[in-house]
Amino acid sequence: MAKKLRKKYISSGPMPVPKWENVLVVGAGIAGLEAASQLLSLGYKVTLIDKASYAGGHVASWHKLFPDRTDASSVITGLLSSIAGATLLLSTEILSVHRLGEGFAVVLSGGETLYFKAILLATGFSLFPAEKKEEYGYGVYNQVITNSDLEQWFNEGNDPRINDRKISSVGFVHCVGSRDIKAGNPQCSKVCCITAVKQAIEIKQHFPDAEVWCFYMDLRLFGKKYEDFYISAQKDYGIHFIRGRVSEVSEAIDGEVIVKAEDTLNGRPVKIKLSLLVLMAGIISRNDIQPLAEDLSVMMDSDGFLLSRDNITGITRSQRPGIFYAGTCTGPKTIPESLAEARSAAIDIHNYLRGL
Amino acid sequence: MTERIPGAFHPFVIPFLAGMLFVLGYCLVGMVRVTLELPREDRRRFLLSLITPRTLWKNIKDIFLNCLIHVNLWKRNKNLGFMHSSIAFGWFMIILLGHIEVALFLPHRIRFFYYPIFFNFFVAEADATIKGSVMMFLMDFFLLIILIGIAMAMVKRIRSRWFGMRRTTRLSLLDSIGLYSLWAIFPLRLLAESFTAHISGGSFLTIPMNWLFHQFLTTEYHILPTWWAYSIALGVFMCVLPFTRYMHIPAEMLLIPMRNAGIRVRHPRKGFAKLEYYSCPGCGVCIDACPMSVKKENLKDCTVYLNRQLRRGNERRIAEISDKCLLCGKCTAVCQVGVEGPELRVAQRERRRYAIDPDYSTVRPEVKGGSKVLYFAGCMTHLTPSVKSALSSVLETAGVEFSTMDPDGGICCGRPLMMAGRKEAADALIEKNRELILGSGCDTLLLSCPICYRVFRDSYDLPGIRVVHHSVYMDELLREGRLKINRGYECYVYHDPCELGRGCGIYDQPRHLLASAGELVEAKKNRAESICCGGSLGSLSLSFEKRRDITLASLRNLTDTEADAVVTACPLCKSTYGRYSDDTPVMDIAEVMQHKILLYENHE
Repeated sequence: MAKKLRKKYISSGPMPVPKWENVLVVGAGIAGLEAASQLLSLGYKVTLIDKASYAGGHVASWHKLFPDRTDASSVITGLLSSIAGATLLLSTEILSVHRLGEGFAVVLSGGETLYFKAILLATGFSLFPAEKKEEYGYGVYNQVITNSDLEQWFNEGNDPRINDRKISSVGFVHCVGSRDIKAGNPQCSKVCCITAVKQAIEIKQHFPDAEVWCFYMDLRLFGKKYEDFYISAQKDYGIHFIRGRVSEVSEAIDGEVIVKAEDTLNGRPVKIKLSLLVLMAGIISRNDIQPLAEDLSVMMDSDGFLLSRDNITGITRSQRPGIFYAGTCTGPKTIPESLAEARSAAIDIHNYLRGL
Repeated sequence: MTERIPGAFHPFVIPFLAGMLFVLGYCLVGMVRVTLELPREDRRRFLLSLITPRTLWKNIKDIFLNCLIHVNLWKRNKNLGFMHSSIAFGWFMIILLGHIEVALFLPHRIRFFYYPIFFNFFVAEADATIKGSVMMFLMDFFLLIILIGIAMAMVKRIRSRWFGMRRTTRLSLLDSIGLYSLWAIFPLRLLAESFTAHISGGSFLTIPMNWLFHQFLTTEYHILPTWWAYSIALGVFMCVLPFTRYMHIPAEMLLIPMRNAGIRVRHPRKGFAKLEYYSCPGCGVCIDACPMSVKKENLKDCTVYLNRQLRRGNERRIAEISDKCLLCGKCTAVCQVGVEGPELRVAQRERRRYAIDPDYSTVRPEVKGGSKVLYFAGCMTHLTPSVKSALSSVLETAGVEFSTMDPDGGICCGRPLMMAGRKEAADALIEKNRELILGSGCDTLLLSCPICYRVFRDSYDLPGIRVVHHSVYMDELLREGRLKINRGYECYVYHDPCELGRGCGIYDQPRHLLASAGELVEAKKNRAESICCGGSLGSLSLSFEKRRDITLASLRNLTDTEADAVVTACPLCKSTYGRYSDDTPVMDIAEVMQHKILLYENHE
């Protein structure tokens, strides 16, 4: 038995990789792109599909990335240049999947049916729709925007909600729709704390005279250089951090918003008038993933994300042979984590296909 | 017609007699106790109502319709109605006809009150005259009706769905004894009368049975055992009655006059509350109605089990059930007896003592206003700012001058505290708000939240000030022509908020508004049977995860209509549904109106 296994998986010497083996990568965000590029260099034929009309996913619409304030566009350009040999199908969805022998027959929305030996799901996440927390007034008051709106403004600079008024004070609300049982998402969205610190600094750079406030429950600054970034936000930029949740937002007559919150360190309620309020909408599972998950017979976890075979040693493996995960389809992750996972998934697929 | 048994007595009547005397005594003592437990002014009011001809007539009518005919059950389900009224009314008729028989033929025996029950045993050739045979026919007829009812009751135990009930209560041991002895009474009576029919006479049911029995039974020895069995069944039933759900039969006869006199629950366990939980027939209609019953773990938290635990005095379960309830009031709406589950629960919550009583003496808001219309948004509307801005814009369009009572924070209306059973704390808030409202010089108090509306309407003393909900107010503006909209092609489904519908009886005005704005469709469960959104402030212990299934089930009831939008008139319902409704937008009725007004203005 052991001998057989050894022969099957750890065969000595380089093994010729069959070039005709196709791998499908679902989702052309950073995880999908990175995995595709790794699979290409391992010698596979890769087809990369995405629902959207562009590649790069959420990162494509971002401006700068924490903690070094790297250009998001340069990351995407770099990744795109490395998938030159892959077939990239944009505005394409999976209509149906059938297991056929050891692989899968996949019908795509373009009408073609293709055969793949393995499928990598890099379907990513959704941003929490901030209008669901109506008490924060997104979609009701013009002074309230989301983290994603702000990045877009950093990129394009044409949001009337910011351009049409004097910005004298800005607030950031952490944990909007994440760590929130009421909103149905008890999980921590992981990246919003540091994103808020980054965006607060950037706002301060755009509007040096503005007072900037961050309302947080906890600050979870776990990553490399995050803490430095946070200390710098306070020391170098004078950003105020208030521990406590915002309870409600209302509009004042002069066109500003009144934010009521609790300062749990001082143990008293606070009321602040702000010209702009930014909601840090959290990472939640995609609500359109369920039909695909059912088609592939992969399971979903209680938090709505895809269920891995094991959360420690097998995060990129699904419960089904031939189906793998990478990136935020299994839970909130930072960009470096997603990229690392994409590489690990590529190796996983490689080992799986060699063993077939 | 002759008397067969000299002395008009036989020992087999003793079990019946004992049971009868026991149950009569028990009920009489209970009646006096409940009446004495009422607060003095309530007792006075109740006794006065008993000698007022109008309420007296209403009492008799209500007792006849509810206790004998079970009109409410007929409305709910024909089979369920027939089953109950056949047993109750049939039994009543048998007792009544028995007395008429005795009064007609042997008037000197009417003082033995077992005599009408066992009439056929004591007489011979009762059907010899026309009058006698008509009576015998009627007796057989009503016995048949009851037997059909009993057969249906047996079927119901197995196939409750045929009777419009998905779930039914689990019987306690004594309830089972009561049930089986009740089921046994009438077949035994049929047997006893059939065995005796060749002596006493009979009719279409008993004579053929008698003939049939005589084909294979030739002695007379089986007559007496069946009469004994019949009497024992009656005796057992009446002896266990006070300790079973069948106590509802006598209790309801007192509950109806007390309710008609306007008596309400004032004490968690005494007086009217006691009467209410003894009046619960334990039918379990409230189990299916309870919004919490979507989760199996909550099945034993509906009103029928609260009543059972109150009777048993199980304090742990009473507290648990009382705290969990959403106070949506649907159990009361479907209850054929009208047991007020929410009121009973709030009364239990009032027993709890809190270590700290809130002090509002430092709260000093002021109302800047002077307009005739004062708008109180309340905390839930502040948390759903779109409702507030939509209503403001509608009022501006209609040219209504209004001032806002709580533009920048205000005092709570008091309803959440009342629901939590903290009446004194709520009264402090109510008094504070009352001063503010009376000092503002308004003549109309406008509310956009049904929770606030109910407490302002019911618990505030605001002379000369009209308290009105925004759905009613906007409907008036529309009818007066101050709002102009065009009817569109959108399809709306309206969700009746608990506090507005069942709580305040407002069902039609919001529907009229929506029917003027577009096409109005009705959900399967609507109006008084609308399902709580699950966000209710009423529950003290249901967590958000546990409420999720309630919300999803309630939302499904609305979205099954495939309407374009779910419309409600409560900010809490709106935000609760909004959290889970991904495909169908959830709107407040003010938002619909604002949208329609904008369309009209753009069109003009």
